Amino acid sequence: MSRSYDRALTVFSPDGHLFQVEYALEAVRKGTCAVGVRGQDVVVLGVEKKSVLQLQDPRTVRKVVMLDDHVCLAFAGLTADGRVLIDKARIECQSHRLTVEDPVTVEYITRHIATIQQKYTQSGGVRPFGISTLIVGFDPHDTKPRLYQTEPSGIYSEWKANAIGRSSKTVREFLEKNHKDGMSREESIKLTVKSLLEVVQTGAKNIEISVMESYGKVTSLDLAQIEEIVADIEREKEAEAERKRSRLAATAAGQAAMSQRAGGSGQ
Amino acid sequence: MSIMQYNGGSVIAMVGKDCVAIASDLRLGVQSLSISANYQKIFPITDRIYVGLPGLGTDVTTLHEQFRYRVNMYTIKEEREIEPQTFAQLVSSTLYERRFGPYFIEPVVAGMQKLPTGGFAPFIAATDLIGCLNFAKDFVVAGTASEKLFGVAEGLWEPDLEAEDLFETISQTLLNAVDRDAFSGWGAVVHVITKDKVVTRTLKGRMD
Amino acid sequence: MDVSFAITGKGYVILAADTTAAHSIIKVKLDEDKIKELSPHLLMAYSGEPGDTVQFAEYVERNIRLYQIRNLYPLRPSSAASWIRRSLADSLRSRKPYSVNLLLGGYDTTTHTPHLYWMDYLGTLVDVPFAAHGYGSYFALSLLDRYHDPEAPLEEGLAVLKRCIDEVTKRLVVAQPKYKVKVVDKDGVREVEL
Repeated sequence: MSRSYDRALTVFSPDGHLFQVEYALEAVRKGTCAVGVRGQDVVVLGVEKKSVLQLQDPRTVRKVVMLDDHVCLAFAGLTADGRVLIDKARIECQSHRLTVEDPVTVEYITRHIATIQQKYTQSGGVRPFGISTLIVGFDPHDTKPRLYQTEPSGIYSEWKANAIGRSSKTVREFLEKNHKDGMSREESIKLTVKSLLEVVQTGAKNIEISVMESYGKVTSLDLAQIEEIVADIEREKEAEAERKRSRLAATAAGQAAMSQRAGGSGQ
Repeated sequence: MSIMQYNGGSVIAMVGKDCVAIASDLRLGVQSLSISANYQKIFPITDRIYVGLPGLGTDVTTLHEQFRYRVNMYTIKEEREIEPQTFAQLVSSTLYERRFGPYFIEPVVAGMQKLPTGGFAPFIAATDLIGCLNFAKDFVVAGTASEKLFGVAEGLWEPDLEAEDLFETISQTLLNAVDRDAFSGWGAVVHVITKDKVVTRTLKGRMD
Repeated sequence: MDVSFAITGKGYVILAADTTAAHSIIKVKLDEDKIKELSPHLLMAYSGEPGDTVQFAEYVERNIRLYQIRNLYPLRPSSAASWIRRSLADSLRSRKPYSVNLLLGGYDTTTHTPHLYWMDYLGTLVDVPFAAHGYGSYFALSLLDRYHDPEAPLEEGLAVLKRCIDEVTKRLVVAQPKYKVKVVDKDGVREVEL
């Protein structure tokens, strides 16, 4: 009898915390970083890719996946948990089409995923999913790009740009400083790469970018394209640094001249 | 019209000297309308065992898949190939599991059984649709032409036929029996199994 | 009263199905599409009990699509046929079986071969060079026995199909006025006008 009611793992602590959920968030914080950026009529997903081992097949290590023709998902946290959650979402996408003859909206599938995640914080014998997700896409018959986030607790929210996973706080602050409304495709991609470069030291080869431009139109950039963007950003940074240096030099020279003049006049 | 006659088809197996043969027609129809003239209803189980599954078309495929699954599980768990005798029991128990809602198939098993002495002995068996085994020393028949097959085989079969003679006997038996059956025919396939090889031949019959 | 035909040829499969939706003796629709495009290289013509047909076809469609999204590549025609057959065979021994007959035409992009499968509501699956369901089968099959050529180019295939349709229109008491024809080959699926 006792079996039927005392199996829940996620229970409140005396001060109102759900430790299991907080530990799950910790697992997310340890996962590789993922960034989502919304532009005028485009939405970009960027992820930090772990280096693939020499003998490993890179195609089997995926962090950005399609849920349906028009919805794309990236996650941070435990990959194994991610796989299971993604499969549940894919089934729901097809099931939704079968029952109401319409594709899911991005918010609908986000809510569905968040609901599953919430269930695993309140049922017996289970532990929460150790992943946060970024879900992007376009609603059917709509041109507005969408970007949502879900968390292990079951919270979901819509964003203009956001990051999850390792150093997500740094990246989010960067996005807060640099995001502006109505960005073009190129601007959005650049901002995504730039923000990822804040935490990915190894550069282009550890970055994966997927771009969704309209309903069902998804492209992922290849290494050469990403390298080009990274090089572009490097050049910009270099130019900026150069400007700063010359400005500094100018100020220094000015100051020197001034002090010399001051000294000279003193003689 | 019984459900056993719905798709038509017949199978026969015969014992020879150090060999067995199993043969079937190639027709699949819907009552009197022929759909296919190349419908295989004999399947290899191992290198030395073949099973013929005459009866309802849907159950031919379902049972074949079921047997493949169970034989694969047997091979993995036992780490050895299944023997004809054992496979016949497996067929029987699979069918009896559905005693009160049977698969409409009357399987025929033919193979070379390994002996404790290291040699091989011919083995044939047939069951009814709920798995009642019939081990015969001469020949077994099943399908819509079974009555005719019994008659012709009774006249043509003799003990200790060599592989080539057994092939001739089983082929003539099958072709002549199915010519008198509206639900079987449209060509035939014959497998002659000896201890180290299987010879498969496709025959043309009266293609009408 | 549904009529559907299919034939294979050199590197293609053609499927044709009438476009009538009927309620007992009343025609309620004349442009019903009874051939589903299951994947880039797979077509399925369905007929049988109204209601069951569309329900089952959509169920199949969604599952084939789910497979493609899960695995990033579509099922091959033979595998898809096996899956669909198993669904029907399981359904047959359930409380309320689907009564749906199917023709499944596909182009296997790995072996570059066309495939045609005849399947009935019992789950009988047969690999055939040409096939038909409904009353049309009594006319079409004997015509195709005489005129079918597995090596015929598409134009000849369509001409043979036209013969079948004409014969059914001429001899069947309840002739179907219109047919939808679809082709699947190495370039994928497309509709053609006869």
